[in-house]
Amino acid sequence: MVERIFGGGLTVRSDPAGAEACSAFVRRNVDEGVTWLQSYVSDDGSRSFCLYEGPSPEAIRKAAAANDLPVDRITEVSVLDPYFRR
Amino acid sequence: MAQVSVDRSMATTGGLLERAEELAALDERLDAVKTTGSGQVVLIRGEAGAGKTALIREFCDARAGSARIVRGACEPLFTPRPLGPLIEIAEELGGDLFTLVERGAKPYEVVAALAQELDGPSPVVCVLDDLHWADEATLDVFRLLARRIESVPVLVVAGYRGDEIDVAAPLQIVLGELATSPAITRMKLSPLSPAAVAELAEPHEADADELYAKTAGNPFFVVEALAGGAAAIPETVRDAVLARAARLSPAGRSLLETVAVVPPQAELWLLDAIAGPSVDGLEECLATGMLRSDPTGIAFRHELARLAIEDSIAPSRKLELHRAALAALQEPPIGSVDHARLAHHAEAAEDGKAVLLFAPAAAARASALGAHREAAAQYARTLRFAADLPASDRADLLHLRSQECYVTDHIDEAIDAGQEELELRRSLGQLEQEGEALNWLSHILWCPGRTAESRHAREEAVALLETLPPGHELALAWMNSWSVPDVTRALELAMELGDTDAAVRALSVLSEIRFTEGGRQTIEQCVELAREAGLDELEGWIYSHSVRQAIAMRQYDVATAWADAAIDLCSDRGLELYRFYALADKADLQLDQGRWTEAAESASAVLSIQRASILPRIQGLVVLGLVRARRGDPGYEELLDEAWALGEPTGEPLRLGSVAAARAEAAWLAGDHASVAEATEHALAIAVDQRHAISLGELSLWRRRAGISDEISPDTGEPYASQLAGDWRLAAAFWDDVGCPYEAALARADSDDEAELRAALDELNRLGARPTAAIVAGRLRGQGARGLPRGPRRATRENPAGLTSRQLEVLELVAEGMRDSEIAVRLVLSERTVGHHVSAILRKLGVRNRGQATAEAARLGLLSQDR
Repeated sequence: MVERIFGGGLTVRSDPAGAEACSAFVRRNVDEGVTWLQSYVSDDGSRSFCLYEGPSPEAIRKAAAANDLPVDRITEVSVLDPYFRR
Repeated sequence: MAQVSVDRSMATTGGLLERAEELAALDERLDAVKTTGSGQVVLIRGEAGAGKTALIREFCDARAGSARIVRGACEPLFTPRPLGPLIEIAEELGGDLFTLVERGAKPYEVVAALAQELDGPSPVVCVLDDLHWADEATLDVFRLLARRIESVPVLVVAGYRGDEIDVAAPLQIVLGELATSPAITRMKLSPLSPAAVAELAEPHEADADELYAKTAGNPFFVVEALAGGAAAIPETVRDAVLARAARLSPAGRSLLETVAVVPPQAELWLLDAIAGPSVDGLEECLATGMLRSDPTGIAFRHELARLAIEDSIAPSRKLELHRAALAALQEPPIGSVDHARLAHHAEAAEDGKAVLLFAPAAAARASALGAHREAAAQYARTLRFAADLPASDRADLLHLRSQECYVTDHIDEAIDAGQEELELRRSLGQLEQEGEALNWLSHILWCPGRTAESRHAREEAVALLETLPPGHELALAWMNSWSVPDVTRALELAMELGDTDAAVRALSVLSEIRFTEGGRQTIEQCVELAREAGLDELEGWIYSHSVRQAIAMRQYDVATAWADAAIDLCSDRGLELYRFYALADKADLQLDQGRWTEAAESASAVLSIQRASILPRIQGLVVLGLVRARRGDPGYEELLDEAWALGEPTGEPLRLGSVAAARAEAAWLAGDHASVAEATEHALAIAVDQRHAISLGELSLWRRRAGISDEISPDTGEPYASQLAGDWRLAAAFWDDVGCPYEAALARADSDDEAELRAALDELNRLGARPTAAIVAGRLRGQGARGLPRGPRRATRENPAGLTSRQLEVLELVAEGMRDSEIAVRLVLSERTVGHHVSAILRKLGVRNRGQATAEAARLGLLSQDR
């Protein structure tokens, strides 16, 4: 889980330009073996919580640097599902 | 879509299925070389039978008119001929290169000559195929060529099997190092799609689904399965090949077997000599496409087919063929005798005498070329047949094998051979050689951390050698103690004997111990002396020891220069072990200098190589562990735990002290002060016992920070002792001065002064040290400070020197010629804080004074009038 803090706020438009920006992120992540699974962004765009799969924290940082994205904190997480019963 | 005929090889008929994209990429790379004059490397990876060679052929055939093409293929021998592919290439290119390769030059000389031959008006395509079988010398050439690729107008196309290289394989290490170069393109050949398989199956009326299921789209398998013509699709590649071979005439089948035992290819004269009447079957084998004719001889279309046939030959027939090949290859009508090839056939022919003749010769040649891995294997082969040799000859062979294993960092094998040699020397009563073997064992036992055994062997060596007339071995035995009186004695003896090797060794050790008293210059002289005497190993050895000493003395410029020189030297000369040491030292010094991203890269490179020597691995684990812990990233515990498991049993401050300090720091960052005590107790006791100044300092300081009050040993080094005595200012100034920003910030963090704490916080944020910054911010808040920055400021990342926005403000005023006192007034800061900013600016810009800072700032466009 990668927490990011955006000084100027984050805006990704839901148009072709926004889609192109996102797929550019994905392409650059490939170089580091990093996969972006999903993100949650605060309403004001100042923070995001991004779920990634990657070989090491260094790879995640390198991918972030290549995409010019800030990294505040990286935490290793596992899935806990409220509807999981056994 | 391209057409392909499966009756002959896919390679010769032109048009490959589903390879258009790869061919276009190769064309594009070659065009780039043509237009820019700057070289490119294309790495083609695929499983066996994926069609790497076929793709390369297709590309070369298409471009044969417009570019010069040279080819070299590595040989599937257990111990290939050193520089085999380069010999092929040299035969095509001629010139100085040919002369050099003929006389067995070193890889760096070969690359220089190769670059010269390749440097012309029209670009050259240089094919290095089957790189997974490459000998060490060839890999060195490849590595060196790739490193300077941009200065040579060549397209290097290298094919290798992705499935054959295991973790420690030398090729993987080389490929790992090439990882980030922009001149390198990687492509992976995928299996054929179901549609392509169906297209191939159609003319044969074969069941496409079944064919795809069995072959998984492997192009070679598909072609073989169809060419076999059997009613049922064979289960394995081997079955497919054998089914195909079964349809040949007896002569054809016999010839196929003959070619199968003489990899990589059978020269026509060799076939004439060993195939007998079955040579009549050649035409049939070529016509059916099972064999192909190369400029150098007759070869299988694919190694998979050769292996299948070779496996199927009856043992007695195989023996007979190897014997015939062995006899014929001893007297080649053209070219020189290839000892590696002879040794291969000698062993397969179970001809012990011939093995003893050819394998040591092959080993000596391999060693001289820097192919130490092949040399070690040839000595091992010799020893398998050496049971009847006199014991002293066997001991000599074991000695040579141990040395070759050691330089390739196969320490366990080196120790086994060394111990076996020692036993033989003892049983023979060869006292001097026994002393030599003990010295050697003492040296190599240290690498995997067997410290007590190493010391014991050294003491035995000294005791034994002192009873004999003084010589080289006694000098080495004395020197191995690393104590000033003994090393001085060793130096005097070596000078008396005129023994350059021992004298330079002893002198460099002395200079290291007395590093601050002009030792640095002497070490550089020692390197020079070793170079002049042509003693490569000694040169690498001096560097590998001295870099660590320079780091301990905080002379990072010297350490960086030496580490870089060592890495270059050792890559050139195949000194794997010392290269590995230098790489680990580089990770260490990058961490100290606050270059964490680079430090993590270097440490990861060290950790990706599984080796027996533990010191570099410990360093790599500690550096990567600390980078993660300091950034607040996960995954540091397992790294530091492994380092501790490796370092703890050695009982040495060098290996165990740094690990304990790192674990203490990680515990402190996590706020777990109890673990700080636990992590440091054992190591501190050893450091006190051995009076290890740095370990004492680091460990005591972490304990103090965790609230443990110890009595501080008088042996504690600086600046730790000052910091422990409460003089954080002096410690901070020391770290500023030597260029360790993180340590400087930590020293300032002990202050009560808000400006100092803020300076520390700025620096920690710049470094990305989130947990440490949080601790300092907590202290500031405790003092009632407000408006603290959170995380590294955006601006820092955007200016090239990594200056904070405050430092940029100060720099502007420095550039206007203001003094510290004037700047302090302007920015409402204390003069001392301005002083700290100015020294940080000078350090980050890498300059000595304000004038240079202004010039550098202008050059980097940091000043507002430039922006």
